Amino acid sequence: MKEKFYATIPVTVLCVLLGLMIGVQYNTVRQQQQTADSASLQRVSELTTKLTTLQAENEALQTQLETQSQQMKEFEAALVADDSDFEALTKENERLKMIAGMTAVQGRGVSVTINDSKTSDEAASSANPDAFLVHAEDILSIINELNVAGAEAISINGQRIISQSAIRCAGSVVNVNDVKIAAPFVITAIGDPDLLEAALVFPGGVVDTLRPWGIEIIIMKLDTLEIPAYNQVREFREATSSKE
Amino acid sequence: MLLPIPLLGLVIGVLIGISMPYVFPVGYSTYVGIAILACADSVLGGIKSSLHGQFQLNVFLSGFIGNAILAMGLVYLGEKLNLSLYIAAIVVFGSRFFQNFAEIRRFLLNRGEKKDKIHSEENVEKGK
Repeated sequence: MKEKFYATIPVTVLCVLLGLMIGVQYNTVRQQQQTADSASLQRVSELTTKLTTLQAENEALQTQLETQSQQMKEFEAALVADDSDFEALTKENERLKMIAGMTAVQGRGVSVTINDSKTSDEAASSANPDAFLVHAEDILSIINELNVAGAEAISINGQRIISQSAIRCAGSVVNVNDVKIAAPFVITAIGDPDLLEAALVFPGGVVDTLRPWGIEIIIMKLDTLEIPAYNQVREFREATSSKE
Repeated sequence: MLLPIPLLGLVIGVLIGISMPYVFPVGYSTYVGIAILACADSVLGGIKSSLHGQFQLNVFLSGFIGNAILAMGLVYLGEKLNLSLYIAAIVVFGSRFFQNFAEIRRFLLNRGEKKDKIHSEENVEKGK
């Protein structure tokens, strides 16, 4: 009996220690889970507020840009009325703006609508699901083909493609001119409609490589279509024109 | 007599631990888990040996400290070697858990049977 008490004390001490460790570890695990949950929630709400403020800011800047370009046009019109010599310069300016993509243009062309594959989910999950989605690379190759066929102006979902436009995969969306756009992608191009269509639809062409995956591609030839101007400000920080 | 006191201690310890505001640093979860296992193993081993009447304080304490250090060392070495060595400690402690528990269980059950036998023998003798 005495020996049992002799054993009881150290065993009990260790039991209390064991219980303490279990309790504190329980708290630790619970806290870790809580922080993990709350951190993700907090991040989402934080990012949402940021997004809304940025969108509002963006809209305000857009209106400002529009009013100012309107003003510029008015000034130019006034100058043309004053001075006939200035007319040539204005025409040249207009032409350069068209080349740069700074003015809205209209004319004949095609509109290419591409959308993610509607192939049922089991097919998408069995094979590589990425193959059933439209990627930035697909858009890039379509634009490349259109340019080969002599497209004079191209836009994707209202974003004018200019010489410095970037088309980049950004998760589930695609960034064009730093603006997020998502499927369905509508690529409009001004140029000879037959040539533009032929550039996309030929054996082994872009359409041929995408169709087997069930990606929807609709090409429409249009008599009139309008392509908006590039609506952001381009600044040259490094480049200066070199005078020979 | 012996069993309820450590059990009570365990419950008290858990309650204190939960009500305490402290938490372990994030990176040491495996170490704490292994320490808990080592501690539980020692407790069960201590109970078993005391039931057998073989309890020795120095064996008990050295076993607890030694096992804990060895297990921690395994975890540490496993981290350095990118090898889940702590699983070895978990397996050993886990199987010992069941072994010790089984021995304690049998000891307690058999003790009851023996008493009954003695009583019945006594009854038989009285009856004679």
